[in-house]
Amino acid sequence: MTSLSSAVALPSSCRGARPAGGRARLLVARAAASSPKLPSGRRLRVAVVGGGPAGGAAAEALAKGGVETVLIERKMDNCKPCGGAIPLCMVSEFDLPLDLVDRKVRKMKMISPSNVAVDIGRTLAPHEYIGMVRREVLDAYLRSRAQNAGAEVVNGLFLRYDAPKEPNGTYVVHYNHYDGSSNGKVGGEKRSLEVDAIVGADGANSRVAKEMGAGDYEYAIAFQERVKIPDAKMAYYEERAEMYVGDDVSPDFYGWVFPKCDHVAVGTGTVTHKADIKKFQAATRLRAKDKIKGGKIIRVEAHPIPEHPRPKRVSGRVTLVGDAAGYVTKCSGEGIYFAAKSGRMCAEAIVAGSANGTRMVEESDLRKYLAEFDRLYWPTYKVLDILQKVFYRSNAAREAFVEMCADDYVQKMTFDSYLYKRVVPGNPLDDIKLAVNTIGSLVRATALRREMEKVTL
Amino acid sequence: MAMATSTFSPRPASLRPLRAGAKPHLHLLPFPRFRAGRLERAAAAGEAPVEVAPPAGETEAEPAPAAASNGAAVKAVEAPAKATEAAAPPVPAFRDARWVNGTWDLSKFDKGGAVDWDAVIDAEARRRKWLEDYPEATNTEEAVVFDTSIIPWWAWMKRFHLPEAEKLNGRAAMVGFFMAYFVDSLTGVGLVDQMGNFFCKTLLFVAVAGVLLVRKNEDLHNLKKIIDETTFYDKQWQATWQDDTTGGPKN
Repeated sequence: MTSLSSAVALPSSCRGARPAGGRARLLVARAAASSPKLPSGRRLRVAVVGGGPAGGAAAEALAKGGVETVLIERKMDNCKPCGGAIPLCMVSEFDLPLDLVDRKVRKMKMISPSNVAVDIGRTLAPHEYIGMVRREVLDAYLRSRAQNAGAEVVNGLFLRYDAPKEPNGTYVVHYNHYDGSSNGKVGGEKRSLEVDAIVGADGANSRVAKEMGAGDYEYAIAFQERVKIPDAKMAYYEERAEMYVGDDVSPDFYGWVFPKCDHVAVGTGTVTHKADIKKFQAATRLRAKDKIKGGKIIRVEAHPIPEHPRPKRVSGRVTLVGDAAGYVTKCSGEGIYFAAKSGRMCAEAIVAGSANGTRMVEESDLRKYLAEFDRLYWPTYKVLDILQKVFYRSNAAREAFVEMCADDYVQKMTFDSYLYKRVVPGNPLDDIKLAVNTIGSLVRATALRREMEKVTL
Repeated sequence: MAMATSTFSPRPASLRPLRAGAKPHLHLLPFPRFRAGRLERAAAAGEAPVEVAPPAGETEAEPAPAAASNGAAVKAVEAPAKATEAAAPPVPAFRDARWVNGTWDLSKFDKGGAVDWDAVIDAEARRRKWLEDYPEATNTEEAVVFDTSIIPWWAWMKRFHLPEAEKLNGRAAMVGFFMAYFVDSLTGVGLVDQMGNFFCKTLLFVAVAGVLLVRKNEDLHNLKKIIDETTFYDKQWQATWQDDTTGGPKN
C-alpha cells in the first residue's frame, strides 16, 4: 500500500486519535513527536511469531523498513493443510515468481445437491487465473525473502511473553529454540528475546492470541485428503477445480476437489457439525467417485479455519495478523491473501509509526493498521458474509446459487471481486437484472423444496 | 475402529428437520431404513463396509422405494434382503424415462399440444428429493444441465403464488372486516370515514404487513433471528474497537 509508506520520513506533530471504526481516509501515519527516540540510537526490535504468509510478509516489510526483525517459526518444512488457492492480485502485489504456482485454475465447476453442474470461468481473460500453490513452497519462499531483506529467521516454538514493566519498556519473548534439524527436536533449548513489539502471525491456534487475551472465535474444521489419481483422470483437473454444495457434503460450507502439483486435494469443512466431518468427507468422495477412482490417499490432514476476527486484535504493542487475527472470508474460506496483506500492512504501520525503526511505537500505531485493513476489506468480507447467509442456508438455496452461477454477469462480478479484491458496483441495469434473477432463482428453488416435501419416494 | 461409531452417530435433528418429522404416518418405516441406507452408502464409499444389524421386526409392508418410473419395483420382500444390504450395492441411481442427457425432455411432457409444466415441476421435485436422499456420484459424460428458469413464470405463479395469495388475501379480508366492524361499533365512524382517518389507515397498513410477514407461529421468532443475523457479523468485526481505552496517542 503506497499510502502507508509515503509519509514515513517526516516526524511531525502527532496525528490524533485513531480513526473510529474505519472511516479513515488515506492512512497518513506520522511518528508522534512525543514518542521517545530509542535509547542509544538502537533500532526498533520486533518479533514476528509464525512464519506463514502473514509472518513472512510482515517480517519482510519490517526488515525493508529498517526495523530489526526476528521471525520465529516452529517448523520450517511445515505443510500447512490448505486449499492453496491464491488470487491474481497476490501474485502481482507480492511479486511472486510464477514457478511458485503449481497450477493455474481457469475453470471451476460448481455442483449443486442434485448434481446440476455449472462451469464458471467463461468470462476470464487469458491472463487471469486462480493460482494453486503448495503451502510449504510459498511459506518457505516468503521466509527466504524476509531473510534476504535482513530479518533473522529462527527455528523455535513461541511459549509466552512477559509484558513490559514500564510504559516504554520491552517485551520479553520466551521460546524453545530448535537447532539444526528442521523437524524440531522435542524439547529444544529455552531462550528469550527482548523486543519492543510482537506481531502474532501464528495461525488459527495462535498462542500469541491466547497470551494477550484476544478472545476466541468460532471456527470451521477443514478436513482434506490428498489423493494421487491416475494421469488420465488427472488430465480432467488440469485447469479445473470443483466445488460441491449440499447438505450431504457440508451443512454450512462446501466440499472441494482442488488440483495440486501432481495430485488432487479432496476435502470439506463445517462449523456446526464438526463431529460428522468424516461423514461429510465420505459424501464428498462419493460425489467425485468416478473422477477420483483408482486414486490413492497419500495424506490426510485437517485444520481449523477462523470464521470471524477475534474480539481483540491488539493489546499494548502486541498485535495479530492473518489467521491468528481471524481474517478468513466467509463463503469461500479464503485466507492466504488476507494473511499476507495484513502482515504487510501491520509491518508498514509499525515502520511508519517508528519512523523507520528510530522511535518507539505505540498501540495507536498498531490500531492504524487495524483501521486501514478494516476500511479496505470490510466490503469484501460483508458481501461474502451475505452470500453465505443467503446461499448456504439450505439445499434449496444452494440449488439457486448454482443456477445463478451460470449467468455471465455473475461470473464476471465474482471473478473480478475475487481476483482483484475489489467490490466493483458494475452497471446498474445489470445489477437490477441480477437482483431479479436471484430472487427468481431463490423463489423457484424454495417452491420446488415445498413440492419435495410432498413427494414420497 | 472409531470410524464405525462415528458413521452411525445419530444425525442431529437440525440437519434434516423436514425429513425427520414430515409424514411419519405416510411412510410406514422408511425413515430409519433410509438413514441406514444413506449411512451405508457413505460408509461403503470410503471405508470398509460396516455390518448392518437392523432389528428383524421392522420389515413388513414397506412402500416400494423405487417408484414405477425406475423400472423394476423393488417390492417389500425386505426381510432377507435387509441383512444383505450391507454387502449388496445400495439404492439404484436416479432413472426416469423423461430424463435425457442431464435434462428433462420437454417433448415427453406433452399435454394436448402444450408442455405440461406442472408435471415438469413434479418430476424435478422428485428428482431432487431422490438425490437428496441418495446422493450420487457426478458424471462428466452425463452432466446435469437442467435449469429451472426454462419453466415459464406463469406456471410458477399459477402453482405456487396464487394459492398463497388467496390464503393471505382471505386473512387480510377477515381481519379487515372485523376491525372495521369493531372500530365502527366503538366510535361510530363508518367504513368510508375510517378510510379517511390517518390512524385507521395506519392500522390497515399494519394488518396487511402482519399478514404478509407472519404466516406461521415460528415466523415471529424467525424474523427476530434474521434481524440479529444481519448485524452479527458487523459486531464481530467491531469488537476490537469496543474496548479501546487508549484513545489518542499520548501527547
